Amino acid sequence: MALETPTLESLQAALDAQQAVFAMHQSMNMEVFYWWCTAIMLMIHAGFLAYEMGASRSKNALAAGIKNILALATIIPAFYLFGWWIYNAFPGGLLPASVPEALPWSDSMGPNVSDMATGIFWGAFALFGATTGSILSGAVIERIRVSAFLILTITVGSVAWILAGAWGWHPDGWLLTKLGYHDVGASGVVHAVAGFFTLGVLINLGARKGKFINGVAQTIAPHSLPMTLIGLMMIIFGFFGFLGGCIIFNGGDIGWTTIYNTPTNLSAFAFNTLMGFSGGVIGCYIATRDPFWTMSGGLVGIISVAAGLDLYDPALAFMIATCMGVLAVKFAKILENKGIDDAVGAVAVHGFTGFVAVILVGVFADGTPNVDGNPAISLQGQSIAAIVMALVGFIPGYGISLLLKKMSMLRVPDAVEDLGIDEVEILAKPYPETSVPATRPSEVPNKLANV
Amino acid sequence: MGASITEWENAAAYFTFADNPLALVLFSIGVATIIIGVIASIKHHEDKAFDKYKDK
Repeated sequence: MALETPTLESLQAALDAQQAVFAMHQSMNMEVFYWWCTAIMLMIHAGFLAYEMGASRSKNALAAGIKNILALATIIPAFYLFGWWIYNAFPGGLLPASVPEALPWSDSMGPNVSDMATGIFWGAFALFGATTGSILSGAVIERIRVSAFLILTITVGSVAWILAGAWGWHPDGWLLTKLGYHDVGASGVVHAVAGFFTLGVLINLGARKGKFINGVAQTIAPHSLPMTLIGLMMIIFGFFGFLGGCIIFNGGDIGWTTIYNTPTNLSAFAFNTLMGFSGGVIGCYIATRDPFWTMSGGLVGIISVAAGLDLYDPALAFMIATCMGVLAVKFAKILENKGIDDAVGAVAVHGFTGFVAVILVGVFADGTPNVDGNPAISLQGQSIAAIVMALVGFIPGYGISLLLKKMSMLRVPDAVEDLGIDEVEILAKPYPETSVPATRPSEVPNKLANV
Repeated sequence: MGASITEWENAAAYFTFADNPLALVLFSIGVATIIIGVIASIKHHEDKAFDKYKDK
């Protein structure tokens, strides 16, 4: 049988078919990438769960755990209802734009053959929001009411951080278009916002009973330090999903870009994530010799370089992270001296480090160009943006917790704190076959005393 | 009852009730009600549990 001679039309048709296949596979690969980033991000919450339960005394271990689980379960639907809409409606400031496609009853907010992006990005962003809720969760253990915590966690996880995200991450966000803001790994929009929100809550919540005696800070030792260390390492694992979710998988021949549309790749992220982790661990170890802070240093290190993850020389990233490891401990000590009882150091690790990380991009990457007509990165722009991030977190955190306090809804009664929340509210025992003295003061010296 | 398409050709949003905006708004109100309800229920449980331990 004789072969047919291909015509231009038949060749064009074959090429079109191949391009359609390629485009579909690119879209599917994009979905696959963010799907697994989101799954890996769940490890952050498994880590926070272990870390907070371990950091509590055994009488409060389950209460710490249940509020963390409920944070995840309430932030996700709240983010579905209004978080995604806030991101799309508020890039210009505080007046909403019309974005009906981001409302929960739109065609894009559910299974849709023609939309392979909205759900997967919504999922990743919802998990970013849940991370902010978990940051708050650890700091307030052992004395906050679960109902108050859920109101606060929905506020930070589905409103505050995503408003900052609209301003600092959205292509039309005013921090980008006016100031050239650069924060690819969310040091500002997630960590600084959540950390300063937490500070606002802690001011109104007050310290755990026994934390300060005659104004001197005491150690309230974790009931399971090994569990906290494993939890922290699980958070580090989850960070790879988190940071993967911060990079943009583009179609066509563009390749990877940052959320600001500037070129980058996962190699850049790999260099600086790992070097940042290492530097932070070493910095906190040097500053404390304490296992809890040494492991927390991994978080400090990554957060300290996350804003400029695409730009830093890895050796510089390592040194930044090391220095920030030392400084975060110093900041935690200052807070403690001011009477702030941050049970897990969340304000120092996330708030302070995220705040400084945003400014450091302005110090070291000043003049780096943006695209799409946005101004170049500058120290002035980054400094203003860092203050904005801190305020977007602090103001609602302080305001809402103050309101809850005035309504006597914020804190458990003293007698419940003495007995343990598990005993009174959760009605379950974490270790029913053991007898752990819950009220005896720890003999471990204050780990920040010699800093 | 909630099917929003009758064939897959040219289908886009195909989830249940996608062609019924009123139902979708009502479902969203349902989600909000459940979130508010669970927080209210936790507060109620706390109030009862803490009642005999209230600060004097």
